[in-house]
Amino acid sequence: MNYKETDILNIVIAGTAGQGVITLKRLIEFAAQKANADLILGSEMHGLAQREGAITSHTRYQKKAFDDPRKNLQSPLICYGDADLYICLEPVEALRRGIFSSDKTTFVLNERTIPGVMITADLEEYPSLGRIGKILKANAESVFFMNATQLALDNFNDNQQLNIVMLGFAIATGKLPFIEMEHYEEVIKEWLRDPDMNIEALHLGLEKGKVIISKSN
Amino acid sequence: MKEKDNRFISEEGRALMLGNEAVVRGCLEAGVSYAAQYPGTPTSDIGETFHQILREQPHLKEYLVHHWAINEAVASSECAGAAWTGCRVLNPMKHVGLNVASDALSVIALNGPNPGAMVILVGADPGSLGSHQEQNERFYTWMFHFPCFEPHTPQECKDYTKLAFELSEKFDTVVEIRTSTRSAHSRGYVELGPIKNGSSKGKFERNIPKYNSLPPHAINNHVRLYERIEKIRQEIPNLGINKLILGENTTGIITSGMPFGYTMEALNQLDLNDVPVLKLGMIYPLNYNEITDFLEGLDKVIIIEELEPFLEVKVSEIAQKHKINVEIIGEEYFQKYNEYSTGLVAKSLANIFSRTPSQQMKNAIEYFNSYKELIPSRFPTFCAGCPERATLYSILKATNHLENTVVCGDIGCFVMSFFPPQECSDLIICMSGGLSAAIGMSEKTDQRVIAFIGDSTFLHTGMSPLAEAANYDSNVLLFIFENSWTAMTGHQPVLGLTERKLSIEKICEAIGVRWLRVEDSYHPKHLTNSIEKALETDGLKVIIIRRECALQAHRWRTQQIRKLEQDGNKVQEVLYHITGCQMCYECARILSCPAIRKTEVDGMETMQIDEDRCIKCGVCYEICPNSGIHKSIIDALETEVPFREL
Repeated sequence: MNYKETDILNIVIAGTAGQGVITLKRLIEFAAQKANADLILGSEMHGLAQREGAITSHTRYQKKAFDDPRKNLQSPLICYGDADLYICLEPVEALRRGIFSSDKTTFVLNERTIPGVMITADLEEYPSLGRIGKILKANAESVFFMNATQLALDNFNDNQQLNIVMLGFAIATGKLPFIEMEHYEEVIKEWLRDPDMNIEALHLGLEKGKVIISKSN
Repeated sequence: MKEKDNRFISEEGRALMLGNEAVVRGCLEAGVSYAAQYPGTPTSDIGETFHQILREQPHLKEYLVHHWAINEAVASSECAGAAWTGCRVLNPMKHVGLNVASDALSVIALNGPNPGAMVILVGADPGSLGSHQEQNERFYTWMFHFPCFEPHTPQECKDYTKLAFELSEKFDTVVEIRTSTRSAHSRGYVELGPIKNGSSKGKFERNIPKYNSLPPHAINNHVRLYERIEKIRQEIPNLGINKLILGENTTGIITSGMPFGYTMEALNQLDLNDVPVLKLGMIYPLNYNEITDFLEGLDKVIIIEELEPFLEVKVSEIAQKHKINVEIIGEEYFQKYNEYSTGLVAKSLANIFSRTPSQQMKNAIEYFNSYKELIPSRFPTFCAGCPERATLYSILKATNHLENTVVCGDIGCFVMSFFPPQECSDLIICMSGGLSAAIGMSEKTDQRVIAFIGDSTFLHTGMSPLAEAANYDSNVLLFIFENSWTAMTGHQPVLGLTERKLSIEKICEAIGVRWLRVEDSYHPKHLTNSIEKALETDGLKVIIIRRECALQAHRWRTQQIRKLEQDGNKVQEVLYHITGCQMCYECARILSCPAIRKTEVDGMETMQIDEDRCIKCGVCYEICPNSGIHKSIIDALETEVPFREL
């Protein structure tokens, strides 16, 4: 995919409370600043949604602004069908926010499910990963899965690393153009505790992600 | 990780900030020296940002005070008090907080904040993204004559904050900045400027007519308020905040705040970049010339604003009074509830201009609608180990699933009680509205009446209805959740309680509550028994559930364990696991802990505890009717780290 510098990049980040959706969003935004993007706007959710609820953030950037301001990025929210990339820390959350996808969209999904109390109570049904993938693929460019929680647990004994592993995975798709690895690394050093582990997690996600993507091509 | 957040120190360059952070940055640049607020989404993080700055730059404490106030009315009056000594004050609140503060603000507006300046920051919530309701609180600006700015980007959040203080000081007027959940929590670039220290101490100068808005001064101050607002109306064009985006089309748009961004992107998508747009930075008062200049020469004007028509009414009034023949539309095409989006604005504009919305958008909506029924619900619910969840379990058990029982809910994490599968709340009104409703209800029904209140809400407005309930000995069972934190809004301290400087138990005694128990919901059998006893007793009963918020308790315990281990100590580890599960669903449907999931082992259905999500509260272990949940202690001889006792 060849992006123009004036293209507006639209990223949806979805997951459940406590998975690190907002941290992941902020890392992308601060890295886009390091990459000198002319325009950055993103929206995050605080408050009520933080209790086991579904969390979505939108983040958008534009490397170079148009001379005509009417054509530029103006809103922190993405329009229906306009997402370039979804980063989904919980698989069914991709469906919940699926309205932003179209045939230009790439999904990266964590395989680990968080069923929610209605599933455990046997009052609702959680669709299988296969079914989620099939539904998404019908209106997307590509859909990739990774067991990022397991990778985080196996490598760092800490499931909280899953969001950084997923960021690496997302970078591997090429859908975050104009931002270099060193930009993310700088931002991680500035904003996160234990930067060494986080940078390792980022590279792990990137390398595993490349393998997953090349296998499916 | 950086030790200090440079975005609040640097005096040049640009920084990426949330709208709320930009407001705080604006306060630093405007020399604000006092801020007070009760926490509430989307404004809580303004206070947290002030606290972070004061922690990282303690020398600022000489010039800058931030108070978590006991409620919004108190916060507004304390801000006014500080302003009247001559300093600049910020008073943030959420939209419903303005309802609480309105009694105080109605008078402060008459008096005026001089010699200081006072800015109220109101976080609106179209779409009810972090609130129990949505309301168009913009009408207060009309009622109390608050000049009101509506920012769209973080940059505007900062710029308007600085302007608001200048206006407030110059015209002796309370000025409002109205954000929304979206603008408060949107991130974008902000250009940084020089920081100004506020004043350390000022002086109150006696002025009886100004500060005593009682007859005859009340009327004089009202007249003075009209004069002040008229001066501001004239000043607006000099502020440079209302932006005109030119275009040849004879249909134009007036909008403000977040809808401006949706509008511009929708126009671009529909190839309507010739439509002139007037973006209002200030929505009250309106400058008549600015509006009439825009209306003249247009056939039609579309007003794009979320919730009840406010600008539409005002612009229509101006057009009518100035005899301008232009069609003004808005509410016929735009829904007047929920928040807007680019897609929604594009659909309505396509309709008005007879265009076709983009195929990409149309397909996306159609395809999403084809599968959305398959998506399982995921509403916010109590965290794993939450003492409130465990209390609901005991209530359900003690009342045989709420047989002949009404539960009057309230604001706090337990607003979520009404969600399935527990469905343990019958009504919600407002902060401490549950207990108040219970007083009336208990007089007029023989059903058992239960009410909920949180510790922070109890101090906010809950003591008054409790005093009334004690006076009438209302036949109500009140649960006070003493978890020590204002948890729902992100764990601000409960004033006095978090540091154990006051005692809710003693307040209850002093108010005259005769039937009073302090319980721990982590012992569900004991609690269930107490609830049964309470419900057999006539009159007012209060059960205080004293158990720290599970998120905070878990954080504290994890820290203790880490410290002990760093010092070379071994710590015992508690594990809960399930074997021989009978699939009775007691833990899943009645307790409904999110750390428990249904799975299959060797082809047999069983419940399973997610070890990484379980905080080891032990409630499921206590309640399993089939003794299928087992507790094991690893390194049992080593140091035990229990939860912190309150």
